[in-house]
Amino acid sequence: MKRILTLMMALLFVSATSFAQTQNVGKTLTAKTFVFKHKQADKAANVIKSILSAEGSMSIQPTANSLVVTDLPENLKKIAAAIATFDAPAQPLQLSIRLVSASRGTEAKVDSALRDVASKLALLRYNVLEHVGTAQATGKEGEPGQVSIAGYRADFKFGEYDPASDSVQLADFKLFRQEGDQLAPMLKTTLNLKLGQTVIVGATKQPESPRALMIVVTAQR
Amino acid sequence: MISCDAFRVRFEGSTEDPAVLGHLRECDRCLDFAAQTDPDVMFRALGGGEMIPPGGVEAFVVDVMQQVRVRSAESTVTARHEVSWTRRLAIAATLAVGITGAMVYNQLWNPGPTGSQPVASITASPVRTFTTKPIVETYESDRATIVEVPSEGAADDVKIVMIFDENLPADL
Repeated sequence: MKRILTLMMALLFVSATSFAQTQNVGKTLTAKTFVFKHKQADKAANVIKSILSAEGSMSIQPTANSLVVTDLPENLKKIAAAIATFDAPAQPLQLSIRLVSASRGTEAKVDSALRDVASKLALLRYNVLEHVGTAQATGKEGEPGQVSIAGYRADFKFGEYDPASDSVQLADFKLFRQEGDQLAPMLKTTLNLKLGQTVIVGATKQPESPRALMIVVTAQR
Repeated sequence: MISCDAFRVRFEGSTEDPAVLGHLRECDRCLDFAAQTDPDVMFRALGGGEMIPPGGVEAFVVDVMQQVRVRSAESTVTARHEVSWTRRLAIAATLAVGITGAMVYNQLWNPGPTGSQPVASITASPVRTFTTKPIVETYESDRATIVEVPSEGAADDVKIVMIFDENLPADL
């Protein structure tokens, strides 16, 4: 009887110890400081907040441009990898801009250079598409850019690449139209462009307006 | 046998007179009369005197009650199962080992979202969580409506956003 009792107590001790160790390992949090060389720490917070676990937390230190992250060890590895991708040197970007004059006519008429977007614009009942012009621009994140396209001019700034949405921001995109010897401002906007995706930004007065200016933009690395 | 009148004259409660008791055995009317006076007389008439236990009725009752108490005490003692402390401890230890073992097994093989994960997933490449941003982040106008046309195709398909702005020129 005593032997059985001793064996039981030993088993209880071993089981309880291993269980306690398992619990502690799962809950141990580790803090790590990430110092940024190329990007702003506060912008990195947006990148990693979706990776942060329920137990995790972070604090931004703007003066040191660093981020202190506290999280589970395995999650910190994921966060470190995401930060390494984010804190890369400014990437070269390429921008393609096409301007299209779109209208609604009795007969469809599409320039050959616009066949890739004609079916999409047909959904909005624009069946007459005239290719105004195309321009390419290259630059790095944070750099300004400018293109001129047949009587129009566009000023903009290449924004930062956002790994979370795989997109780059085209900040302060201002479109001007040449009127005589003056440049008349038409619109000012900031666009989020997913890399490799063609985006058509149509501008017109009203949904029923017979004419619209289509800005076809594609951003690539 | 004596007459009924003689019986009623000679009858007394707790009488042991053989003539009176003999009359009782033969005469029902006198038995009724006697029973009203002394109910025990019926038993004595039937020879009930011999049925009184030795030592008297009171001694018999005391003896019976004593037996009842003894049996009651015996059943109480029998119902109480004595379990030694060592056996109790062994049972508790067995239960504790079983429960702890089940919890450890569950923790190791069914990790929760906040618990420890298998080693393989620690070395796995980071998961890229994509978020969707609006195409038009800002637009400078107080008379504009922006409509993002839903895409029917894949996520990388051509996206269309229409800006309806009263401030735009009509001859676009």
